[in-house]
Amino acid sequence: MQKPPVALIAMGVFAALASLVPLGYLLIRLGSGFDKALAELSRPRTFELLGNTLLLTVSVTITAIVIGLFQAWLVTRSNLPFAGFFAVLGTLPLAIPSYVLALSYTSMFSWFSGFFASWITLSLATAPYVFLGVSAALVRVDTSQEEVARSLGLSRFRVFTKVTWPQIKTAATASGLLVALYTLSEFGAVSILRYDTFTRAIYNAYRGSFDRTAAASLAVVLVLLTLIALYFERRVRNRYLSVEASGRRNLVELGNWKVLAMTMFGVLGLFGAGFPIAALTGWAFVGSSRSTWGELLSALGSSLSLALLAGVVIGIFATAVALWNVRYGSRFSSLIETTVWSSHALPAIVVGLALVFVGANLTPWIYQTVWLLVFAYLILFLPNALSVIATPMGQVSRGQEQVARSLGLSQVGAIFKLVIPVATPGILAGMALASLTVLKELPATLLLRPNEVDTLATKLWSATETLSYAQAAPYALALIIIAGVPALALNAQARKLASEVR
Amino acid sequence: MRISRAIAAALVAVTTLTGCGVQAPVEEKNSIVVYAGRSEELVRPLIDQFEEETGISVEVRYAGSAELAAQLLEEGKNSPADVFFAQDAGALGAIAKAGLLTKLPSEIYDLVPTSYSAADGSWVGVSGRVRVLNYNPETVTQLPASVYDLADPSWKGRIGIAPTNASFQAFVTAMRVLDGDEKTLVWLEAMKQNAVLFEKNGAILEAVEAGQIDAGLINHYYWFARAQEVGLENMKSALGQFRASDAGNLINAAGVGILKDSTAARKFVEYLLSETGQAYFAEETREYPLVEGVKMVDDLTPLSEIPAPNVDLSDLDTLDQTLELIRQAGLI
Repeated sequence: MQKPPVALIAMGVFAALASLVPLGYLLIRLGSGFDKALAELSRPRTFELLGNTLLLTVSVTITAIVIGLFQAWLVTRSNLPFAGFFAVLGTLPLAIPSYVLALSYTSMFSWFSGFFASWITLSLATAPYVFLGVSAALVRVDTSQEEVARSLGLSRFRVFTKVTWPQIKTAATASGLLVALYTLSEFGAVSILRYDTFTRAIYNAYRGSFDRTAAASLAVVLVLLTLIALYFERRVRNRYLSVEASGRRNLVELGNWKVLAMTMFGVLGLFGAGFPIAALTGWAFVGSSRSTWGELLSALGSSLSLALLAGVVIGIFATAVALWNVRYGSRFSSLIETTVWSSHALPAIVVGLALVFVGANLTPWIYQTVWLLVFAYLILFLPNALSVIATPMGQVSRGQEQVARSLGLSQVGAIFKLVIPVATPGILAGMALASLTVLKELPATLLLRPNEVDTLATKLWSATETLSYAQAAPYALALIIIAGVPALALNAQARKLASEVR
Repeated sequence: MRISRAIAAALVAVTTLTGCGVQAPVEEKNSIVVYAGRSEELVRPLIDQFEEETGISVEVRYAGSAELAAQLLEEGKNSPADVFFAQDAGALGAIAKAGLLTKLPSEIYDLVPTSYSAADGSWVGVSGRVRVLNYNPETVTQLPASVYDLADPSWKGRIGIAPTNASFQAFVTAMRVLDGDEKTLVWLEAMKQNAVLFEKNGAILEAVEAGQIDAGLINHYYWFARAQEVGLENMKSALGQFRASDAGNLINAAGVGILKDSTAARKFVEYLLSETGQAYFAEETREYPLVEGVKMVDDLTPLSEIPAPNVDLSDLDTLDQTLELIRQAGLI
């Protein structure tokens, strides 16, 4: 096995250390009140929260996987009409922050709250992660095996479970992990929908009682849950596959199911995107408060530049970690990857406060500058980009790489001339996903942004805080439109792959 | 409680002594950083005016009061902030308890009645808000005499509260101070049965306006803000008070404290308490001016006529126990 270039190791180690910052901070907070933390954790309420959190996480993850899988299969493998349009519809909820989704429902139906509401909202918000991840994997599935299995008399369902599923399992569980950790760390929607989870309790501990020890002890539980989820994901998934997209194949004839499939897609799109956009547009016309174009444009400008900068930085680090792990995989590299994921279920407020603590006291020269904010985004969203970038990194087979080496290319030369160009669409997709999540991020942005810098998300927050919905509407709509661009880019990437096989 | 306050006062005294020397002159500065827990839309015009009048440049960080308090606690002594302008007494109290606020000079502190400020002089109230019963006059024809009457089973599913909201928690603390923990817990447990729970005061008001619930416990100015947004004639709900000295009529305050003393920081606080500053808040937010002698906006009941309970705001610093009771009742 070859050794990875030093630069990859350095970047991977940096990324892992970055993710350890919030964990280190939690240990400091726990150390200053260990007895209190234990008392907090042994309350009956902790178990109630644990039950609530697990119930929501498991239900959302399963639902999102089922929805995303169906959508991906229909778009890539069936003769669904207008597949391109439905693919866009499947991606669109990604552009809508889940708190906006929740707010648009509750502003219409006040009874919409609790477990059921949170389950529906978060499933709709996260299904696109599975849809995109699984679509990209499905187009690489070797259909000749399926046809052989069919000819041997296996039912369509058995073919799926026996032949297709093993080949897309890695993508499905990886995106499932993303969904699970998203649900664990989600605050905005569950708080608007009044469902008590660990993350909501952590926010309330900070906000209600300024109790940092209690918050830290609850956050540690989230880290443990993350490690358990990671363990199961690692058990289930296969090694990264290095399979080329296979050639043109026969699409499954939907027949009478076509109408049902289109209806399902339509309904999901209606609730995941159509409804919130309609509600926001409605807000713009009620009430008298208005926002000025100047403010809107300046917020738009800072949102765009932050998202772009963070997207590029995160994309570069994700490329390095994925390259190392996929092409030169070792125990060390997989430890690095696990570390990067380990803090992904932490609520953004914990990561934000950890960096406030470190920034103000240890590195005042970058505190409240864009750089510390981008560093926070790196910790928060590197796993998102990683989940997209890992698969394309395996596309150039080791054999091809060796041929290139034998023709005189150096190791680094082979990476830049061969591996990266082939993986570029995947890398861009990873950057797009990172930019998209950065655009929607609120709690860490509020804590770490430079003074007097506003983004669309912070403006939206301050307008809804004062209940000026008419004022909030343009920011929310601008956010959705801007976030729609990377969402569509991601989708275009998936569709390009799909069109190769359709 | 009294002991902890004595310790806090001693701490403040020690830091003043060691930090700046006994009679050290106040640092001259012409730029300050303000952490503002109040909305930008509200505060910015006043700050612009302050900058213009004094030539002092102000950099403002806007976020929720509680988030800013958490941020200040993490920043500790290395905070870039000079002044903390908070939405409620609780956030200021937490910062004061951590010894991060300096004692205000008496010419500032004495401007506001002591019941709206910290007893140790670490922060001072800027504007007042009143807890009210927001109700739908079509369904609530007879107002409950006391907030305790809402515990009656006839209110089941009709009353909205926001148990995670700082203003609600301050009111529960007042209830504890006035009537004791036991009575408070009984009331909270009844509310667990009766109340529809919300995250924010504003959401309660919306639900009352939409006729989804019949009444809710909120701060008075939410109603006025909404009236400004949709027009007074379109308001379906009304505001009412409970009987005299009822905990449900608590007067709370937004306030300000200084973290790093300087001439500019003092000027900023003085400006908030000046005639201009006080009148500004009264007009823009329909809150109450706290400095005596500042004229009121016409349609508000004068603060002195509010049947408020007699509670000192700095006595409302036992939020821990309040949260404990709210949790015990199963409301958060």
